[in-house]
Amino acid sequence: MGEIKRESPVRFTASPTKSEVRDNWTVALEYDEEGQGPWLVDLAHKTRWDLQDNKVGEQRPGDLTVPSAPGDCTFANNTLVNRMNRTQASIYHLGAAAPAMPDFSGYTDVTESTVFLALFGPNAFFIAEKLASLDFLDPAKTAPFLYQGPFCHVPCQIVTLEKAADGAGGFLLTCSRGYGDSMVHAILEAGVEFGLRPAGENCFNTWAQGLQG
Amino acid sequence: MALTLTCPVCGKRNGYEFRYGGEDKGPRPAEAGLTPRAWCDYVHMNKCTAGVQKEWWFHRDGCGSWFTTWRDTTNNLEVEQPEASK
Repeated sequence: MGEIKRESPVRFTASPTKSEVRDNWTVALEYDEEGQGPWLVDLAHKTRWDLQDNKVGEQRPGDLTVPSAPGDCTFANNTLVNRMNRTQASIYHLGAAAPAMPDFSGYTDVTESTVFLALFGPNAFFIAEKLASLDFLDPAKTAPFLYQGPFCHVPCQIVTLEKAADGAGGFLLTCSRGYGDSMVHAILEAGVEFGLRPAGENCFNTWAQGLQG
Repeated sequence: MALTLTCPVCGKRNGYEFRYGGEDKGPRPAEAGLTPRAWCDYVHMNKCTAGVQKEWWFHRDGCGSWFTTWRDTTNNLEVEQPEASK
């Protein structure tokens, strides 16, 4: 049997200057002139799980607890656990490799069914404000937190990982795979005035590691 | 004034994120002794209240929850549950 090839649902017009093949994905590590931010990074190759169970709070994905309140998130050891509702949570593995999926019927690997983008850096939330009516800078909320709502009129899961009053910080965004190209086009267009550039996984890793201390 | 609705999972959100699910008509009538006329009335007939009514809504662009809430149809604003219905 031939080698499979896994395709990201999004394409940037710029070509990466450094990339590698990992688990059948071609992963862009670095782009030319990534600049000082903000940055948009394609993370389609990062493993995502959906977890559904009527006792979802008792599960421990990646040895992390599932938060008790919808909208709350747990972020440690490169794993992000987002409580969606009474019975459901989403799990994002942000490290280079994901652990094996637990032997429990409530887990579904949704990596290849969704778009997965990171938008972060200076003015990131000013770009978001042009595309969504969600209040990312709500002072009542402490990062990380999950929004389930429209971004560019598309139902999305959006996890704010870092936020500052000056609009800096960043978030992760997932939506159905079919919206990939339109979503990237809309975000890059909205970000032109702020100098938004596509960036590689290395840039994202630097940011994500900093958040975890 | 645009409609906003309070989703039990996501909180207060723009009304455009939701799909209307109709008036809340109470529980489905019992099958025993149910006449076609009574069933037809339950399915198709609405009260079309000019005032506060209980309604079903679906958070289509958000968490996907179905929930009921109270809305004043004369000004299209979500309101607290009336005392009389508690």
